[in-house]
Amino acid sequence: MTTNRRAFLHGAAALSALAPGLSWAFDKDGNRKIMVFSGNQAVPVLDPHIRYDWSTRMMQQSVYDALLKYVGAPPKIVPWLAEKWEESADGLTYTFHLAGNAKFHNGDPVDAEAVRYSFERGLKLNAGIAWMLKDFLKPENIKVVDPKTVTFTLDKPFQPFIAYVPWWYIVNPKQVAANTVDNDYGKKWLTENEAGSGPFKLKRFDANALIHLDAVPDYWKGWPMGEQNRLSGVIYRIVREAAPRRAGLQRREMDVITNMSPDDMAQLAKLPGVRNEDHPGSTTFGIKFNCQSGPTADINLRKAIAYAFDYEALIAIHNGGARLMDSPFPPDMAGHIAVPDMPRKNLDKAKEYLAKSKVPNGDIELEYVHVQGLEDARRIGLVLLDSLRPLNIKVNIVGQPWTTMVARGAKPDTCPNMISVYVTPVATDPDTVAYQYHRDSWGLYYGMSHYENAEVWKMIGEARGMTDKDKRMALYGEIQKRIVADQPEVFGMIPNRTWSMRDYVKGFSFSPIWFTGEVDFYPMWIEA
Amino acid sequence: MVASRSVRLAAWHFRRSFASSLGLGLVAVIVLLALAGPWIVPYPDDVAGKVNLADKLLPPSKAHWFGTDEVGNDILTRVIVGARLSLLVGIGITLAAAAIGVPLGILAGTAGGKVREAIMRVTDLFLSVPGLVLAIALVAALGPGIVNAMIALVLVWWPGYVRLAESKALSIRGEPFIEAARVAGAPGLRILWRHVLPNSLSPIIVKMSMDIGQAILAVASLGFIGLGAKPPTPEWGAMISIARGYLPDWWWYAICPGAFIYASVLGFNLLGDGLRDILDPRSHRG
Amino acid sequence: MFAYLLRRFALAGLMLFGLICLTFVIANVAPSDPAVLAAGPDAGKAQIEQARREYGLDKPLPVQFLRYVGDLARGDFGRSIATGRPVGSDLARYFPATLELCIVAMTIGLVVGISLGMLSALFKDQWLDHLTRIFAVSGIALPPFWFGLLLQLGFAVWLGWLPTSGRIGVSTDPGDPITGMLLVDALLRGDGALFWQGLSYIVLPALVLSLPCLASILRVNRSEMVEALRADYITSARAHGVSRWRLVTVHALKNAMIPTLAIIGLRWGWMMSSTVLVETVFDWPGIGLYAVSSAIAGDFKPVMGVTLIVGLNFMLVNLVVDLLYGVLDPRLRDA
Repeated sequence: MTTNRRAFLHGAAALSALAPGLSWAFDKDGNRKIMVFSGNQAVPVLDPHIRYDWSTRMMQQSVYDALLKYVGAPPKIVPWLAEKWEESADGLTYTFHLAGNAKFHNGDPVDAEAVRYSFERGLKLNAGIAWMLKDFLKPENIKVVDPKTVTFTLDKPFQPFIAYVPWWYIVNPKQVAANTVDNDYGKKWLTENEAGSGPFKLKRFDANALIHLDAVPDYWKGWPMGEQNRLSGVIYRIVREAAPRRAGLQRREMDVITNMSPDDMAQLAKLPGVRNEDHPGSTTFGIKFNCQSGPTADINLRKAIAYAFDYEALIAIHNGGARLMDSPFPPDMAGHIAVPDMPRKNLDKAKEYLAKSKVPNGDIELEYVHVQGLEDARRIGLVLLDSLRPLNIKVNIVGQPWTTMVARGAKPDTCPNMISVYVTPVATDPDTVAYQYHRDSWGLYYGMSHYENAEVWKMIGEARGMTDKDKRMALYGEIQKRIVADQPEVFGMIPNRTWSMRDYVKGFSFSPIWFTGEVDFYPMWIEA
Repeated sequence: MVASRSVRLAAWHFRRSFASSLGLGLVAVIVLLALAGPWIVPYPDDVAGKVNLADKLLPPSKAHWFGTDEVGNDILTRVIVGARLSLLVGIGITLAAAAIGVPLGILAGTAGGKVREAIMRVTDLFLSVPGLVLAIALVAALGPGIVNAMIALVLVWWPGYVRLAESKALSIRGEPFIEAARVAGAPGLRILWRHVLPNSLSPIIVKMSMDIGQAILAVASLGFIGLGAKPPTPEWGAMISIARGYLPDWWWYAICPGAFIYASVLGFNLLGDGLRDILDPRSHRG
Repeated sequence: MFAYLLRRFALAGLMLFGLICLTFVIANVAPSDPAVLAAGPDAGKAQIEQARREYGLDKPLPVQFLRYVGDLARGDFGRSIATGRPVGSDLARYFPATLELCIVAMTIGLVVGISLGMLSALFKDQWLDHLTRIFAVSGIALPPFWFGLLLQLGFAVWLGWLPTSGRIGVSTDPGDPITGMLLVDALLRGDGALFWQGLSYIVLPALVLSLPCLASILRVNRSEMVEALRADYITSARAHGVSRWRLVTVHALKNAMIPTLAIIGLRWGWMMSSTVLVETVFDWPGIGLYAVSSAIAGDFKPVMGVTLIVGLNFMLVNLVVDLLYGVLDPRLRDA
C-alpha cells in the first residue's frame, strides 16, 4: 500500500503548510522528550480505589506505587514500596517491610500508616478493586507496627492474597484528608487529581481527550534508563478511531499506538521506522453455554457444538495473532496444564454427540449474544453460524449492550443459549480463573454459564486455602480436566496483545498480566 | 375515458422531465433487484452467512466486481440482496406512519376543539424531539434488530402525517361541498371517509413516496451506528459501518452499499417530486 | 405580544415536561441492569447491590422519576453509570463542540445556498441551473455517513489537503477552554495558527452536516427569486433601469428572507439530530458522539441528557424564529 503511505506523508506536509507556525507543542521540553501514546479508551476516573480498566490502570500505575509490582513475561511479582514481606506459617498474617525512602509527590514520606489507610479506603469504598480482598480482610486487621512495618491478618487462609496486592495503590492520607468533602474519602477530588508517589505526576487531566503526565525527576526508585535519557513526560491521547491513530504514528505525532485491528497491524508492519510489538496475551475468549436451561443444558449438545466449531477460523480472523485455548486457564497462569482431548473441529464426533442428544436431528435455533460493537465477537458469531450449519442448527446472532447481556445472563431462565465473553485474569493465581466456575460466580458476567458440578465446586473451595503449593497445583490440574469434560463453554482463543511504535521508542516491556493495551511507562524512553 | 387521459398526462409529464424519469428509472431498478435479487446474484450462499476466510477483503476483480468483505463474502451479492430488506423496511415504515398519522390528522382537523388541541400537542412534542437521537435511544433500549428499528422509526415518523393531514382537513372543512354534505345529514364518519380523505390524498401520496427514500436512509443510519439488522442479514448501513473499520486500505468495501443507498433515496425523492408536479401542482416547491 | 410570548413559553414548558417523560420511559423499557455497569468489570454481587443503591436504581420507577425531575429542576442531569461522571459537566464540555459545528454548517448552508439559489435563478433553465438542481436533490439523498467517509478518503487520505477526523491535531495544545468553541477561543486568544488548524478540522464535517439544509435553502431561494424576477414591480423597476443583478441581490433577497428563516428554524433541530451521524464519522467530540457511544453501552442518563438539550435547543430556536417572524411580518403576530 505504498500509495496510501505516500498520501499520508503528503497529508502531513499539506497540513503543516495549512497551519503555518504550528509547533509540536508537546514534543519537547528542553532536551528531554515527551512520549505520546494513543489508544481508544478514555480514563473517566483516576481514583485507584474506584475503577480499573486498561487505560485507567495504566495511568494509575504511572502516578501511584503499590507495595509490590508485576513485571515481565511470565509475570513476576517484585518488591516495590515494600522491600520484603513474610507470610506466617498458618497463612493468615502477612508482614510488609517498607523501603522507607519513598516520597509522595508533595514530599510526604510513604509510611506504614499510608499503606494501612489506602487498604482501608479501598475496602470501605467497596468499588473497583474491593472484591479482591473484602471477603478475607477487615480494615481493622491491618496494623501499623512501626513507620516501616505493616501487618495484614486475614480472616481465613487465602493463598491468592499476594497476587492481588500489586493492584492496591497507595494514596497519601494527608492529601486525601485535606480534600475530603462529606466524608467521601476524597472520592470526588481523586477523580481528576492524584495523591501518589509514582514515577509520574499528573500535569493535565482531560478524561476524554488527553492526560499529560510529568516525570518525577528525583523519583525515589530512580530511573532505569539513567537520568540523561529520562523522558520529560508522557501524554496519553484518546483517539477513538483507528485510522487517525495510524496516521498519527505515520506522521510521528504519536510514538506508540494500540487497539489496532489485526488487518491494520499487518499494514503497519510494512512501514519503515515503525516497529510492531506482538505478544501472547492472557485474555481468554469463550462462548459460554447456558448449562441450566434450554437445549444447551444437555451436555451432548454442548459437546456437539464444541466439536463442530471451526477453531482455525479464530486464528485466521486474527491473522495468526492468537493461540487456541488448551485449558480453561490461560497458559501463563500458575498451575496451567494442557488438557488432553480438548475438542477440536471433528464433524463426525460432533454428529455422534448430536445423535445422543435430545435433538438428534438438530432443527433448532440457538441464540448467540455478544457485546454490541465488538467486531471480533460478531465475526466469531458468523463463524459459529457457519460451523453449526452441518448439524442443522441455526444461530441467531444478537449484539446487546453489556448491561442487557449481563442482566439476561444473571438468571438461568433468562440467560441466552450462548454468550461470548472475554475474560482477563487480574492476577496470576489460578484461583482467579478457577473461581469463575464456582457456584458463587453464578450470575456474574464470567459465571453466566451457570456451570454445575458439586465436586468441582468443592475442589475449587479447597484449593483456595491450601498452603502446600505442590498439592494445590495438582488439584488445579484436576479441576481443569473436570471443567473441560463438562464443556460449560466453547473454549476459544487468546488473542495477542499488539502495539505499534516508532523504532526510536526504547524500554518497552510486556507482561501478560497487564490488560489489553496497557503498558508500563516507567522504563520507557526515546532515543535521540 | 378520464382515467386513461390522466395516465397519458402523467406519462407525458414524466417524459418531459429528465429528473422525474431518472427517479422512476432508479426506483424501477431497485424494485426489480428486490424482487429478483436472490436469483440473479453471483454468490447466493454469501447471503446466509457463509464464512470463507481464505477470500477475505479481496479487491474488486472479475470474480468479485466490488471485492469481498471481512469474512470473504461477495460484496455485490450482499448489496443486491440487501435491496429487498431496505425496500420493504422503507415501505413498511412509511405505510405504518401514514396509517397512524393520517387518521389522527383528519380527526384533529375535522373535530377541532379539545380533541384537536390534544392531538396536535402530542404531535408537536414528537416533532420537537430530535428524531434520530430518539430512534437510537429506542433501539438501544429495545435491542437491535430490524423490527425494533422499524418500530423506533415509525414512532418518530408519524407526526409528520398528522401535521399534513390536519392542515389538509382544515382547509377542506370549510369547502362548500362538505357543508352541503353535513347539511344533507351525512354522518361525520361518512363525511371523513367519502370527502375529506380522498381530497387530502394527493399530498399524502407525494409525501409517502418521498418518505420511503428517507426511511431507507434512516434505517441505514441506524445500521451504521450498529443498531440495524442482525448479522448475517445483509443491510446497507451495517455494511458501511463495518467497512469503515477497513478504511483506507480496503476502501472499496464502503463504496457499493453507499452508492445503493444514495441511488434509492435519490430515486424516491425524484419520483416524489415528479408525482407532486402531476398530483399536486399548486403546492409550493421548496 | 406579551400574551403571545407567555403562551409560547408555557407551551414550551409543557413540551419540555413531555420530553422528560418520554426519555424516562425509553430509558426504562430496556431489560438491562445498569448497576453491573456502574459496579465495574469484576464486581461481586455485594458491590453490584451497593452500586444499585448508590445510583438509586433500587427504588421503584415512580420514585426514580420524581427524583430525576427534581434533579433536573436543580440543573442536575444525573451521573453516567458507565463512567460515574456527572452528565451535566460532560454535556457542558461536549455541547460547545456541537454548537460550533452546527453554526459553521448553518453558515455554509446559508452562504452557499443563497448564492447558488440566486445564480440558478439568474441562469434559469441553463446548465448551471440543472446542475444545482441535481446538487440540491443529492443534498437530501446522500447518506451523510457515507458521504463523510468518501470526503475523508478523497480530501484527507488521497489528496492529503485536510485532516481525517477529530477536532484538533494530536500534538496541539488547545489550551483551557474559554467558550469551549475552539474557533472562538482561538480568536479570543489571537492565536491565528490554532484558528486555521481548527478550521481545517471543521470543514469536512460541517460541509456534510450542511448539505440537506443547504439544499432546502437553495430551492427556496431559487423559486422565490424566479418568482420575484417575474413580478410586476420588478418589471417596472427594470423599466426604470435598475440592473438585474441589483434586483436579485436586494429586492428578491428580501422576499426570500422569511421562507429562509422558516427553514433555519425547521432544519436547526434536524441538524443537531444528525450530528449523531456526522460526529460518529468524524470522531467529533460533541454531544452526538456522546449520545451514540452511551446508547450503545446501555448507559441512558447521557442519552436522556442529550435528547433534552437538543429538544430544548430546537424549541428555543423555533421560539426565536417565531419572534423574528413577528418582527419581519407584523400580520403574523395575532395568528
